[in-house]
Amino acid sequence: MFSASAKYYQSFLIGLQSNLVYRVNFAVRGFFSLFHLAVVFILWGAAYVGTPHIGGFSFEQTLTYFLVMLVMQFFVGAFNEDYQISEEIRSGLINQFILKPINYFSYRFSIFVAARLVSGALILIPLCLVLPFLHSYLTLPTDPWRYALVIPAMLLSAFIQFSIAYCFGMLTFWFLEIQGFVILSMAIESLLGGQMFPLDLLPVWILEIAKLLPFYYQTYFPTAILTGRIDLAATYQGFAIQLFWAVALLGLNTVLWRRGLRRHTAVGG
Amino acid sequence: MPNYFQIWLASARYSITRTLMFRFDFFLWATVELLWMAVNLLLIAVIYEHTDSIAGWSKYQMLLLVGTSLLIQRFLMGFFWSSLFEMGRNIKSGAFDFFLAQPGNILFMASTRKLDLDGLLNSFVAMGVIAYSANQLGLQPSALNLFLYAAMIFCGLIIHYSMLVITISLAFWLTSAQGIEGSYFTLSEFSRLPRAAFKGLASVVFVWLLPVVVVSNAPAEILLRGFQPNWVLALLAATIAWFVAALVIFHRGLRRYASASS
Repeated sequence: MFSASAKYYQSFLIGLQSNLVYRVNFAVRGFFSLFHLAVVFILWGAAYVGTPHIGGFSFEQTLTYFLVMLVMQFFVGAFNEDYQISEEIRSGLINQFILKPINYFSYRFSIFVAARLVSGALILIPLCLVLPFLHSYLTLPTDPWRYALVIPAMLLSAFIQFSIAYCFGMLTFWFLEIQGFVILSMAIESLLGGQMFPLDLLPVWILEIAKLLPFYYQTYFPTAILTGRIDLAATYQGFAIQLFWAVALLGLNTVLWRRGLRRHTAVGG
Repeated sequence: MPNYFQIWLASARYSITRTLMFRFDFFLWATVELLWMAVNLLLIAVIYEHTDSIAGWSKYQMLLLVGTSLLIQRFLMGFFWSSLFEMGRNIKSGAFDFFLAQPGNILFMASTRKLDLDGLLNSFVAMGVIAYSANQLGLQPSALNLFLYAAMIFCGLIIHYSMLVITISLAFWLTSAQGIEGSYFTLSEFSRLPRAAFKGLASVVFVWLLPVVVVSNAPAEILLRGFQPNWVLALLAATIAWFVAALVIFHRGLRRYASASS
């Protein structure tokens, strides 16, 4: 008999293999991310002409922020998990999970972890190619606590990222097409997750609201810890809110799964 | 010879009817586009909270440039995106046969089948951004410059269309071209930057090799600084070159098309 951990370890291994099949797709995506980095370099480089600091940070610190943010996205970001879940619901593939002693959330999460290990490793290739050109611009703080605390922050970020994607996948029980919702949320996430600009450049009152939302903890929080944009007290406070969102999203997904299954019709056998 | 305008009108009528059937979809996608436009405008607003100039461009000059870039993109989305996106899928599935059997220009038939009214609706928002920025800058362009601006937006639309046709045509050669249209969005990011910000290698690649920067900067320059022959000529040359390249690549690809098994 499989113990629970052995069961999901097997699905993790299968996820690892199936994601390695798509290694070229991840590598191409990583390559195009470098174009985004070029836009960042040109735009912020031009903005820094005539002003040594923006929001209290130098050009080097801002560029480091965007580079770390890019790496974070490949290590903890949800890519197309929402579409995969949606497709499994629509095509009836989830029927097999309803009949077996396997938790669908845990099954998908173990595959997600495998996928991020593959995409995270693959972003390092294009990164190594541009590092000789960029290394003189990169600057990271030296506080040891940042390197220790960024790991749990990344793990919780990955969980939140996956949970939000899972949540959108669950919408398939109610809507035929979820693409519109996903792209809508991508716009909000890119803004409030700090992908467009460092969130500390926002007016204080907007930043305070953003801190209470889950998007802040998707990629910005670990990036801000590592790049020195928040201090230790703010990090502890951030962990409390991040943990709250991880639990809240888990609860929401459990409710959505149960409610969704009531609407689900399995045909054939 | 078929009357292409009438064919286009029939497609437009079909698209409007379809939109009226799926009203929720229309509102959802219109909101999606509006939000993405807002994200791009907010980026500019936030940067200018902390600095006065980007490569010598003031806040409202930049907003005018970004508005121009968004306008061209909205036209592309409204007039061609859905049809071209489906073209890529049809080439893979073999459903492209349907267009080959029609008595008309294949590329015209395949790329004008669907209009996206949400994209066209948001083009008015982009025009609003341009008008607001021009007003803040105190610009009063002459009728001739306005006409030239419109003509250059049209050229920009042709260039974006050609770039997308080339990207989608890769489906004739590649076995898995899924997600390749995403590369178009990555490249379009460059069109929201002023020409003066590009230096060295970036200038060679994004200003001279790829037309993404000229497409938005040429019309914006007309409104900001009046008629400049070098910008107009650069854009015209790029329009002709990219459109011809798109036609050649599409027809080369078409020769490889072998229906469902391609």
